[in-house]
Amino acid sequence: MPIEYLSDRAVFHERVPAEEAEGLLEWLQDHQKAVMDLGPCAHLHTAILQILLCALCPIGVLPREPRLRAWLLSSIRAEEGPPVVSRQDR
Amino acid sequence: MNPMLALFLAEAQEYTHKIGSRLMQLEAQPANEELLSEVFRIVHTLKGNSGLFAFTQMTEMLHAAEDLLSLVRSGAIPYSQALADPLLECMDLVSALCEDIAKTESIPATRNPACNVMAQALRALIPAAPGIQTPGGAGQARGRSLAAESSKSAGDAALRDLPEAIRMEAVRRAQDAEDLFWITYTPPPDCFFQGDDPFKEALQTPGALWGRALPAQELPPLAELDTYRCLLQFKILAAASRPELEEHFSYVLEQVAIVAVDASALITPVRGPSPGALSHLPAASRAPSKLAPIGEQIAMFGELWSAQEQILRLEDRPAGWEGRVKAAATTLQNLALTAGDQAASGAVAPALEAALRSSSPAPLLRWLENHGFLAARFATLAESGSPAAEVPVDASQPPQSSAAGEEPVRFGRRAEDATSTQFLKVHQTKVDRLMNLIGELIIAKNALPYLAQRAETHVDAREIARGIKAQHAIIDRLADEMEDSIMQIRMVAVSVVFQRFHRLVRDISRKLGKEVRLVLEGEETEADKNIIESLADPLVHIVRNSLDHGIELPDVRRALGKPPAGTLTIRALQQGERVVIEIVDDGKGIDPEVVKNKAHEKGLISAERMREMSAQEAIDLIFAAGFSTAEVVSDLSGRGVGMDVVRSAVAAVDGVVSVESTAGVGTTLRISLPLSMAVSQIMVVESDGQLFGVPMDHVVETVRIPRNSVCMIKQAATAVLRGRIVPLQPLNRALGIDAAPAVNQDDELAVLLVQAGGELLGLLVDGFREALGIVQKPLSGVLSGLVSFSGSTLLGDGSVLLILNVRELF
Repeated sequence: MPIEYLSDRAVFHERVPAEEAEGLLEWLQDHQKAVMDLGPCAHLHTAILQILLCALCPIGVLPREPRLRAWLLSSIRAEEGPPVVSRQDR
Repeated sequence: MNPMLALFLAEAQEYTHKIGSRLMQLEAQPANEELLSEVFRIVHTLKGNSGLFAFTQMTEMLHAAEDLLSLVRSGAIPYSQALADPLLECMDLVSALCEDIAKTESIPATRNPACNVMAQALRALIPAAPGIQTPGGAGQARGRSLAAESSKSAGDAALRDLPEAIRMEAVRRAQDAEDLFWITYTPPPDCFFQGDDPFKEALQTPGALWGRALPAQELPPLAELDTYRCLLQFKILAAASRPELEEHFSYVLEQVAIVAVDASALITPVRGPSPGALSHLPAASRAPSKLAPIGEQIAMFGELWSAQEQILRLEDRPAGWEGRVKAAATTLQNLALTAGDQAASGAVAPALEAALRSSSPAPLLRWLENHGFLAARFATLAESGSPAAEVPVDASQPPQSSAAGEEPVRFGRRAEDATSTQFLKVHQTKVDRLMNLIGELIIAKNALPYLAQRAETHVDAREIARGIKAQHAIIDRLADEMEDSIMQIRMVAVSVVFQRFHRLVRDISRKLGKEVRLVLEGEETEADKNIIESLADPLVHIVRNSLDHGIELPDVRRALGKPPAGTLTIRALQQGERVVIEIVDDGKGIDPEVVKNKAHEKGLISAERMREMSAQEAIDLIFAAGFSTAEVVSDLSGRGVGMDVVRSAVAAVDGVVSVESTAGVGTTLRISLPLSMAVSQIMVVESDGQLFGVPMDHVVETVRIPRNSVCMIKQAATAVLRGRIVPLQPLNRALGIDAAPAVNQDDELAVLLVQAGGELLGLLVDGFREALGIVQKPLSGVLSGLVSFSGSTLLGDGSVLLILNVRELF
């Protein structure tokens, strides 16, 4: 499973394809306070990224993959993007 | 070449031809849905094929054309000339690309700008009205408008979004002379359905320093988000070359705006001064994007200065000396400007002039001595940080224009640039027939060892000879049939050449503001492939001439009582063993008086000759070398290629061109060509113990005349043959053989009467031999320069026979 849904967070593994978008969207609507764990994630499809930007859900762990990490940081730091919360903040 | 690619090229050539002709037919009948569907289908196929080989530039362009055509087909936009022109140009560009591919198996990057311009021009024709939905059409239109916007405010946007660390890095890269680009990538909303992942493309941008995804429009609340529509946009700052970036985004190029970033804009950002960045560049903040540290700049100035001095002091005088001096002078001029001394810079030009006049670098060296202070001035200038006068060459060019602007965009190929067909389409029955003949030949060949064996064991020479003759008869028949068969295969319909005239006539008549109706007749007439191909260029020239000089402007025609639209008829017909092409126009015709006067003016004929010339002879003068009646050299027909070139091109394949014209009524040009030129009949003659071949087409008759009936008129030997005075010329003399023509025991000379271009000549030879059917091979290498001979062949005994070029003997 590219996305592992837990009670209060979703863990993104490896490459997350567009097919996961619908499931993620539904899950996010039911779990509005959930935190995203992108640590093991290597790539997100545009559709997934779009949901993350739209949902404004907190990102708990940034991806370890440096390029994706940099892109996410610059994208979600914009005014309307979701806040980044570190594990300690929670 | 990969066989698939070869097939693609062959098909592409055929398709572009077809699309071109259908597009032109559509102009006449825009409502013909069948034609429209056919064009659409072919464009679609061609697009698909080009995609197979990843010729993305071509695919993109054809995709745009396909979108456009699909709208026309659905009736959303009407078909018109305004659509036909860019579509035809697009096809021209596609065939130009195919030629490139045929040479290098790839499309050179220099073609990219032309392809992009074309794709955009086609897209621009797609109206952006709501309700018209094409695959990707709406999104692409939006991408374009965004692109235009961002190119205006690229600098600002880049600065607002960039974090400090990234800006520092960018400035450092600019100092290392790397190109910086700001990329805005706006994928169309439906891109997910095409299997695209724009984020992945953006992430993998070469040389990306920084990137960010942001909503292209306001995002809806989560509950209303459509996961299948892409609403994001990507902004990327990359240190890479433009071609690299274009290559990376080649599939989505029209969704991407790539704008060059000026490093100076990064140093003084909108958000406030950035002391970190400024400390790197204390002085030259106004200098162009590629900056070198001050010390280096001063050193470079000194180096350049002394290099020019060294160049000027060189003592040799090669052929390019002037160029060398000019180059040095230009450098010095720019150096002076860089040091902020306009006056010094201005003084270089007179010094250069003096140097060129006296062929000595002394004046420039004097300038160097007098302006030695410039280096010091440059140093102070650079260190104080005050703006130096910019070198005009650099300053006048905005950074982004240099990549796209240098390569001239040329896709307005003319129809006559088309290359010759390289593939023959042959009906299978023709090949089968050849196959059967080969089978028979192999069997006939097997009879020869048997005969040889019999010759060894039997001594009856006559019986053996009979056997050999019988086999010869069989092989002879087979050779004849095979020749005929292979000729059949090489036969091509003249329509191959005629096809292009629709386009040519359309384009030229439009350019000239004339109305012309083109009538093609006898397109199915066949002739040898080489003959047909050799016909192409002369025909194009004749057609251009007819349109340019023949057919009058509509107003003039109306005044003359002619229909406003002129008619140009190109007709092909077979006459015996020859194919005749007629080009008939109903224009103003050729006025013999005008031609005569012109020829006299140009010194082609004497005043005397001018008076006694008949009208037809005068008209024939248009074929004289150096004759052109056009007052103004136009780009249509006055290209320095006259009708004499047409005549020699036709003559090269043994053809004849003639002209008939009635002033005010029209002109008819007639080209007569042999059907095939593989096997020709020759007559073998002997002269001074050597054998020569004379093409039978030129031979009128062979006669023997008594030596005493040869009369001398001035220096020329002549004889009266059948009531005509015929000049005589010993073949030996024509070929530079030092021997007199031999006579037979009755004191008679052998005369081979030949004709070329309507003139007769009696060639004095030593004797006549047999007539032969031969396959002539052209002379190659150094021998090809021998104009007296047109080729060679092998005789039955293995010796080489040279074929005379009779035209050269006159």
